[in-house]
Amino acid sequence: MEQDNQSNAILVLKCKKRDEKAFREIVNSWEPRLYYYLRRIVENENDVWDILQETWLAVFKNIHKLEDPLKFSTWLYKISHNKAVNLLRKENRYVQMKAEQISDNFENTNTDIDVKERAEYVHKLLNKLKLAHREVLTLYFLEGFTINEMAQIIEVSEGTVKSRLYYAKNKLHEVLKGAKDV
Amino acid sequence: MFETENKPEFIKNLIAQDPPIADKKEHHKEILFKKLKLRIWRGKIIVGTIYLVLFSAAFWAFQQGQNTDNIVRSICWGAVSLHILLWFLIYFLREIYRLTAETLEKSSGKDEKHKWKNQDRFITIVAILVFAFATVILYRSFFLNDYLKAAHLSGYIFWTTVFFLFWYPFGTASLLAKLWLEYKIMELNFTKTEKQNLKSQTE
Repeated sequence: MEQDNQSNAILVLKCKKRDEKAFREIVNSWEPRLYYYLRRIVENENDVWDILQETWLAVFKNIHKLEDPLKFSTWLYKISHNKAVNLLRKENRYVQMKAEQISDNFENTNTDIDVKERAEYVHKLLNKLKLAHREVLTLYFLEGFTINEMAQIIEVSEGTVKSRLYYAKNKLHEVLKGAKDV
Repeated sequence: MFETENKPEFIKNLIAQDPPIADKKEHHKEILFKKLKLRIWRGKIIVGTIYLVLFSAAFWAFQQGQNTDNIVRSICWGAVSLHILLWFLIYFLREIYRLTAETLEKSSGKDEKHKWKNQDRFITIVAILVFAFATVILYRSFFLNDYLKAAHLSGYIFWTTVFFLFWYPFGTASLLAKLWLEYKIMELNFTKTEKQNLKSQTE
């Protein structure tokens, strides 16, 4: 993982020097995950491709502004989040959720279920959640972002991210438990 | 819950649940890379054109000085030619200085960004003001009748640039020295850690 981060940082530095080959590599390695993330926010596939296009062009245009290449993933998801939100706002489909009550025992709510082997369940569950919860959970599972990084990406407080994650995880726990019982 | 070694496998499985249509994916990439190529070329063409225009303008001014019968005009056009070239050189030196400062900032990890950026901003503002001042003087010298006075005013062109022609190369040299020092410190630390590791292994 550490090695991946380092090699990605090198690619980012090359991109800063307008290296087309490095940019192609970055697009190829990040696009599947970015596509999955955007599909969880935006329903229409054509819209997703448009957002992806805009995201990559914005990345290419502004990459010189990115100071720490190791923070590329957070920066990339932030751009795509903003692009997606802009589109949803245009269509009046984006409703910012109010901060839910934060549970004190958030850190102890980890499920003991092996989530890695249950990608299919996670995927099905994501579609059942509200947009805001779905987004946080996608970021959490897809990139393993920290609370702080997720808060930066979706531009809400850390408390809000915690509560959304708590709710989404509980829901996940319920579904997985239900599936086990069946 | 999540930080385990199966993470890449899980991500792969998760993404596989909703794969994009291959045709659309390829079409999207084709358009994207075409747009990027165009942007890269556009950038190169713009920079190339700026360089070409500047050098052409300097050469044109030089030719103007050669073709005129008026001594004052001849001196002034020669000064215009040098004025363009010298300020272009200052801009070029500033870019080298800026790049070195950025490299040093990234390699040292210290937050000295604001320090050199504020200094650079101040020097740039001074440079712009001095450039404007020299241009006005040069413009005024065209209306003189006395060629000695015109030659004297043209001398300002050199004096106004001297400070910057010294500042940026010396600044770059000092940054390079700092960069070398950082490298040496890193090298020493590396050797120290390596020795400690060897010592702990033998114990």
